[in-house]
Amino acid sequence: MAGGMLIVFLVLMAIIGPHVVQNPDTYNSNLINPTFSRPNGPWGGISLAHPLGVEPVTGRDMLARIVVGAQYSLLIGFLATVLAVVIGVFFGIIAGYFGGWVDVLIARAMDVFLAFPLLVFAIALIGVIPDSAWGLSGNTLRVFLLVFVIGFFAWPYMGRIVRGQVLSLREREFVDAARSIGGRGPYILFHELLPNLVAPILVYSTLLIPTNILFEAALDYLGVGLIPPTPSWGQMLSNAVTNGFYYIDPMYMVIPGLAIFIAVMAFNLFGDGLRDALDPRTR
Amino acid sequence: MTKPRKLAIAACAVLTGLTLAACASASGSGSSNTADVGPNSNVSFSAGVTGVVNPSSAQGGTLTFAENSTPDSFDPGNTYYSWVWDFSRLYATPLVTYKSCPGSCGLQLAPGIATGLGQVSDNGLVWTYHLKHGLKFEDGTPVSAEDVKYAVERTYDKSVLPNGPTYFQTLLADPSYPGPYQDRSKNLMGLTSVTTPDPYTVQFHLQQPFPDFNYVVALPQTAPVPPDRDTGANYQLHPISTGPYMFQSYQLNSQATLVRNPNWTPNEDPEAKQLASKVVIKLNVNADDIDNRLMAGDIDIDAGGTGVQAAAQAEILSNPSLMKYSDDALTGFLWFAYIDTKVAPLTNVACREAIEYAADKTDQQTAYGGPYAGGAIASTVLPPTIIGYQKTDPYDALTQPNGDLAAAKSELAACGQPNGFTVGLAYRSDRPREVQAAQSLQAALARVGIDVQLHGYPSGTYYTDFAGSPDYVHQHDLGIDMGGWGADWPDGYGFLDELTNGNTIAPSGNTNIEELNDPVVNRMFAKATNPALTEAQETAIWPQIDQQVMKDAVILPEVYGKSLLYRNPAVTNVYVQSYFGMYNYAVLGVSS
Repeated sequence: MAGGMLIVFLVLMAIIGPHVVQNPDTYNSNLINPTFSRPNGPWGGISLAHPLGVEPVTGRDMLARIVVGAQYSLLIGFLATVLAVVIGVFFGIIAGYFGGWVDVLIARAMDVFLAFPLLVFAIALIGVIPDSAWGLSGNTLRVFLLVFVIGFFAWPYMGRIVRGQVLSLREREFVDAARSIGGRGPYILFHELLPNLVAPILVYSTLLIPTNILFEAALDYLGVGLIPPTPSWGQMLSNAVTNGFYYIDPMYMVIPGLAIFIAVMAFNLFGDGLRDALDPRTR
Repeated sequence: MTKPRKLAIAACAVLTGLTLAACASASGSGSSNTADVGPNSNVSFSAGVTGVVNPSSAQGGTLTFAENSTPDSFDPGNTYYSWVWDFSRLYATPLVTYKSCPGSCGLQLAPGIATGLGQVSDNGLVWTYHLKHGLKFEDGTPVSAEDVKYAVERTYDKSVLPNGPTYFQTLLADPSYPGPYQDRSKNLMGLTSVTTPDPYTVQFHLQQPFPDFNYVVALPQTAPVPPDRDTGANYQLHPISTGPYMFQSYQLNSQATLVRNPNWTPNEDPEAKQLASKVVIKLNVNADDIDNRLMAGDIDIDAGGTGVQAAAQAEILSNPSLMKYSDDALTGFLWFAYIDTKVAPLTNVACREAIEYAADKTDQQTAYGGPYAGGAIASTVLPPTIIGYQKTDPYDALTQPNGDLAAAKSELAACGQPNGFTVGLAYRSDRPREVQAAQSLQAALARVGIDVQLHGYPSGTYYTDFAGSPDYVHQHDLGIDMGGWGADWPDGYGFLDELTNGNTIAPSGNTNIEELNDPVVNRMFAKATNPALTEAQETAIWPQIDQQVMKDAVILPEVYGKSLLYRNPAVTNVYVQSYFGMYNYAVLGVSS
C-alpha cells in the first residue's frame, strides 16, 4: 500500500514535476565556492530557492535534476519492462504449452540469454551506436537503445516463470475441457491460459521495474546512458564518485542515491503487496 | 620539415593518459566554515615552485616514493611516462639532461654524460656529442660511445620495447633499421645513422635539419646500455645504472629498492645528487592511501606527480599548517577547445571570435578542478612553463573571465549570425572533468544564442576516429572539440608544431583539429627550422606564432593545467622542476 502511494507520487512527480521546477540546466556559478568547486553553505547548498541544494561545480538545481531525472528513469524502467514482459510471456507460454522440441529450443535460448555478459554487451553496443540511426538522434535514440538493451535481455526471467506456470496449468481440467470441445492452440493459449497467468505476470512485472531502473542507473553510471546535460540519477552518482565529490559534498551522492533507493523500494513493496493480495497461499 | 607525427600523437596520448589520474582527482574543499581560508593566507604555500625548500647536503636516510599505478617500464629506453622520465634520472643519465633548478631555469638543457650540448654541422644534418672521460657503469666497466649508440638502437624494436617515443626513428637517416634484436650485423651495431668515430664521440645523422635535436637526446633513451647486459624486455628489472643510484631489487609492479651506485661521481651528472643512502618506490598503492601516508610522513613523495586526490586536497587547502608543505605546480599542459575553421559558420573568423568572447573562463576553470588543482585561466596557446611564452590577452580572458557578451554579440553580427547558430561539440565522455567543461561551455555559449550539441566519444579512439578525423568532424558538424595538450620538450616548436602547423593536418590521428592552414603561421614555422638561426632568434618566433593563432581564433584556451603536490616536510632540496611539472626526483634528500 505504501509502495503504491510512493509509486503514484513518483509518477506524478515525473509527469508534472518538470513543469514546476526550475530549468535543470541553468548554471548558478555564484552559489559555488570557486576555490573548492563545492556549493556554498551547509548540506550541499540547501536553501529556500534550492530545496535539495545545488550541484558542485555547476550550481545547477538538484531538485530540478532529480525530478527530470525521475522522468527518464521511470520511463526507461517502465518501457523496458513492457518489452521484457511481452517477449517473455509470448515465448514462455508457447514453450510451456507445446513442450517437446519447441520447449527445448526456447528454454535453451533463455539459458543463453541468462548466461550472457549483459553489462559488457550493453557497453559495447551503446559505444558503437552512432549519434543518429533509424531516423532517431541524440537522447531519443539513447532512450530507445536503453529500453531495447535492458528489455531484450530481461525477458527470460519472465519467460521462465510463465513457462513453469503453463506447465502445470496445461494439465488442468479446464484446459482438457477446452480442448475436448475443439479449442485449438492459439485459443487455448490466449483465452484459457493467459487469463490465469495475469496474477504472476503482474507481480513479476512490478518486481522487474526496479531491477530495470537500477540497470539503467548502472549504465548511466558507466557513461553509456543518456547524453549530458540531460539529468540522470546514475550519472549524478557516477560524477560524485569519480570526481571525489562524495568527500567534499556528500549530499551530491546521497540525494540521487536516495532517489534510486526510494524508487526501487516503492516498486518492490508494491510488487510484494500485489503478490500477497493475489496469491493468498504465500501469506 | 620533419614531422614526428606518430610520435607526437603517442606523446599526446600518453601524456594526457598520465593526467587521467589528475582528471580523476577532483576539485574540492573543506567544511563550510573554512571556506574563506584561501591558500593566499599562507606565505610558504608553493614555496617549492619558485625556490628550493630545505636546501641541505646532509647524507643518509631512506627516500620513499609511492605510486598509485605502475610504471610503463623502468627501462629508460621503453618509457613514455613523464614521472618515470623524472625518476629515471636517479639511475640513467642521458647525453643531455635538464638543469636542476626551480623556476624557468629548470626548462634549460644541461650536459648529462656528454661534455656539452650537441654541435651541429653547417648543413644542420649531423649532431656531434662528446662523452665525458672516466664514466663507469654500476659494475665498474667504462661507458663508451657504443653503449649510447646501442641504447638508441634498441629503441627501434617496438616489438620488444613498445612504449618509448620514436623521434629517432622519424628523424634519423636510417628509418628502416630493425633494431639490435633482429640485427644480423657483427657486434649488433648496424644502425648507420649513429656513428662512433672514437669511444668518446657519438654522431647522429639526420634526414632533415632539426634544430630541436638537443631536446631529443635529452630523452632517457640516450642513457647508455651495455649490449652484453641487455635482456630486452626484462632489462626493466635491472637497468644498468649510470646515475647516482642503482637497482638492488625490483619486484615487478610491487616495489623497487635502489642503493647508492659506488661507481658514480658527481662529475658524471652534476644535475643529480646522491644524498639519501637508499631510495624505495612502492607501486600500486591506493591513491588516497598515498595522500594519507604522505601527510603522516610515512611516504616522502608521490611519484606520479599529478597531485593529491580530492579528499587530501580539501584537507590541505583548508589547513594552513598543511598548506605550507604543498606546492601548486603548473603541469605544462593546456586544456582548451579547438574551433574548426572548416565547419560552417566557423569558417568565418568573426564567428570563432564570438566563441572566444562568450566562453565563461571561470566556469571552465571550475570544471577542470578549480584554481589550485585544475589550472590557471589561460589566454594564450603556450603555457607559462614553455620557452617562448609571452603573456597576452587578446580576448579579455583575464580581465573579463565571465565572458564579454557584448563583444561576442557584435562579433556574431559581423559574422552574419546575429541570433547565433547551432554547432556540435566533441568531448571525451570518460574524462569527468572534460564532461563538466563541455557542459559549462554549452551553457556559456547559450547566453549569446549559440546552440551547442554535445557529442561524447571514448578517449581511446578520440584522436583516431572522431575529433582527429577531419571527415568525421565535417560530417557531424563538430565545430568545437575539447582537447588537452602537453609537449615532450618545453619549447615552442615542441608544443605548437603538431597543433597549428598547416602541414600536420592528417586524415586520421589529426592533431591540428582546427584545420588551421594559415600561410603566416606556416611561414614562421619554416623560418624557425633554418639551422642558421640562433637560439634567441628561434625563441622569438614562438610568441609570434602563438599570437597569430590566437588572432585566427582557432584555439579557445581554457586553463593552464596545475596540480597540487604535497611533500613530506622531512624531504630536503625539494622543488618543482618546470620541465616535468613535478618535483625534481634527482636531487632529493631526507633529514632524519
